[in-house]
Amino acid sequence: MSIRQLATLSPRPRKSSMAQQPETRISTTTPRLDVAHLAKSYGSGEKAHKVIEDLTFTVDAGEIVCIVGPSGVGKTTLLKCLAGLHPASSGRASIDGRAISGPPAEMALVFQDYNRSLMPWLTVRKNLILPLRHLRLPASELKERCDSALAAVGLSHAGNQYPWQLSGGMQQRVAIARALAYRPEILIMDEPFASVDAQTRFDLEDLCLKIRRDFNMTILVVTHDIDEAVYLADRVVVLGSRPARVLKVVDVDLPVPREQITTRSLPEFARQRTEVLSLIKRPA
Amino acid sequence: MMNVKMRNWLIGAGTPVLLLTAWWLSSENSTDPFFPPLRTILVRFQELWLFEHFQSDVLVSLGNLFLGFAIAAAAGVGIGCATALVPTVRWMVDPLIHFLRGIPPVALVPIFISLIGFGTEMRVASIALAALFPTMIATVDGIRSVSNDLMDVARVYRLSRRERLLNVLLPAATPQIFSGLQVSLQVAFIVMIASEMLGSSQGIGAMTLLAQQSFMTADMWAGILLLGVIGFLVNVLFGLLKHRVLSWYIGSRRMARAA
Amino acid sequence: MKPSIRPLAFSVLGIVTALVIWQVLAEARVAGNALPSATTVFANLASTLGLGSFWSSLASTIGIALLALALSAVAGIVIGLLVGSFESVRYATLAVLEFLKPVPPIVILPLAVLVLGPTVEMSLFLVVFGCLLPIVMQTVDGVQSTDPVARDTARSYGMGEGEILARVVLPSAMPYIGTALRVAAPAALVVTVVAGLLGGGPGLGQSIYQAQAAGDYAGLYGLVIVLGLLGLLFQGATRVAERRVLHWHESYREVVP
Repeated sequence: MSIRQLATLSPRPRKSSMAQQPETRISTTTPRLDVAHLAKSYGSGEKAHKVIEDLTFTVDAGEIVCIVGPSGVGKTTLLKCLAGLHPASSGRASIDGRAISGPPAEMALVFQDYNRSLMPWLTVRKNLILPLRHLRLPASELKERCDSALAAVGLSHAGNQYPWQLSGGMQQRVAIARALAYRPEILIMDEPFASVDAQTRFDLEDLCLKIRRDFNMTILVVTHDIDEAVYLADRVVVLGSRPARVLKVVDVDLPVPREQITTRSLPEFARQRTEVLSLIKRPA
Repeated sequence: MMNVKMRNWLIGAGTPVLLLTAWWLSSENSTDPFFPPLRTILVRFQELWLFEHFQSDVLVSLGNLFLGFAIAAAAGVGIGCATALVPTVRWMVDPLIHFLRGIPPVALVPIFISLIGFGTEMRVASIALAALFPTMIATVDGIRSVSNDLMDVARVYRLSRRERLLNVLLPAATPQIFSGLQVSLQVAFIVMIASEMLGSSQGIGAMTLLAQQSFMTADMWAGILLLGVIGFLVNVLFGLLKHRVLSWYIGSRRMARAA
Repeated sequence: MKPSIRPLAFSVLGIVTALVIWQVLAEARVAGNALPSATTVFANLASTLGLGSFWSSLASTIGIALLALALSAVAGIVIGLLVGSFESVRYATLAVLEFLKPVPPIVILPLAVLVLGPTVEMSLFLVVFGCLLPIVMQTVDGVQSTDPVARDTARSYGMGEGEILARVVLPSAMPYIGTALRVAAPAALVVTVVAGLLGGGPGLGQSIYQAQAAGDYAGLYGLVIVLGLLGLLFQGATRVAERRVLHWHESYREVVP
């Protein structure tokens, strides 16, 4: 899909005042998402299993932040805490200063396993509508939201198909479209591109950048792919393992707009990914 | 290739025809009181069921079957949901359910006869109670095996309790629920016949048993034939419904196997 | 209260509640004599347990069910292997099997009683009629699911058809047969009771019929309770047996988390 086509997608009306310069990071005094000394353990007493120990980082409005770390470090647990699915054991996570106690209204989550997060008994379009039902929107707006979300992920033709009739990459795009139709302000993605092939992965990464540009969303992506993190992010939060803690927050100073071939061949790109990689590889 | 297919079709369709013909010919001059000629059976079939006893017996039997099954299906899904979703309820009723399920469904009929007599209520109640358990147990299993991932999606997108039950849990459990319903339907059919055979003067089962006891073997055969055809047709109809409702499931399974 | 004890406590509470409701309803005589109290039923059951006639009924019910199950299993597996191995036989039997599958044995009960009378043979015949077809059809499915590579491998090692059937096809059909037997065992018990109750065959079904006809309601309830426990026993036993025999098969291996 060309940039001109993308321009026809209306950005979210509420955010339009902030969208004049979508590629620059907007610095505000209070971060949108604030994670302070967050800890999570399962079980209690002596048998408690500590998964996350004292995580602190922030995500500003309109920013893309990637969280990288070795597998099994507790990234999914972190996201479940942020999404309000699990309560934190101590510390807190807050949005605009309000502590997260249940799934926040302004947040959408794209799960790792597309084939387990889409409803197989619903068509693509009905999957998109399901989270919108309780908003009691007029039919015209429902249709408009679905149409624009499907167009944004390039699946306008697939609305009446079932998810399982589509390829893995297309299913993950349906999951993203479902999140877009929900019009969240904060989008969280859990290893969203882990189970698709390399070419699809590049497409989906660019889709992610495009969503930030068009909808001015604040995006948090968990990934184990360091190149992906550096390519996507304004900042990369590097986690160390067992129990998870923040090793360093790396600012990524790569020019925008980013492009798969030119950006990845910049010497700066190599330097940044080496920095992140050496943080992860270093024995704790 | 085409030839093999044709041959299989011919064999498949030909064998039943052959068997029926063999039955017809071999029984034609039969004087064996137990095995009357097929011709006589079919004549009696037509005389009895089309349409002398159609309204008074066939419709009554089918009405009881469907009413009892409908009650069992609705109650089974409802109680199953409550049992699956409320742990306290589950812990309380679980052992009772397993015990009641162990009782042969037909053995419940004498109890209902002693409690509420030989009327239609007894028959419908026996059918409903006996057919309740397969659906209920399948509903509990189905709902409890819905993946946590789907429930996380439902919570993140802030679906209401009602939406979570009606739009996520129940649809996700439909494959199991329908397997349970199919078993319930078979149980309902068996109990329908049993409730009629155990002391009642109405219904296909009663007519068939009565014919046997009064040595009207052709009538008995006609009853057996009708019951067999009903059992088969009810199952086929339910299969069609199931295929329609679960087309998404069948399609996704086929897809997963091909991958 | 410890969380692990809670389910058990609620289960006990559930059973006690059910018994209390039963007792209260019976004492209130909501259904007159037709609903005896729980205490009466259990007292009656306890005295019945001392009677030889009860034990011989129980023995014939279990004996008929198990014997018919064994006959159905042997015949079903042999027929299933035969039908599954030859495509033309499979097509020839398809329509007949599909028609007979949803027809429960109770349908032909009048015929069986007419020809065989209220005898052990009649009960056996009905149970076999009910259990045979599911076993045949599952065995056919099992044969169909045999890995063709395994079959070809066996052939390339020079195994004869009979040897392939015994060494390759039968083992790979075993899980299907196991499932069929697990479903068939409780069904065998049910049909045995039906044959006794409606057809007058020996066993607990007949005892129930006699209790109902004589208006011995306490005895009737006691027998139904015995049948419920017997049903549980059959379900549990077949489950354990299936797991024992098929522990090698992948669908029975414990999943390592």
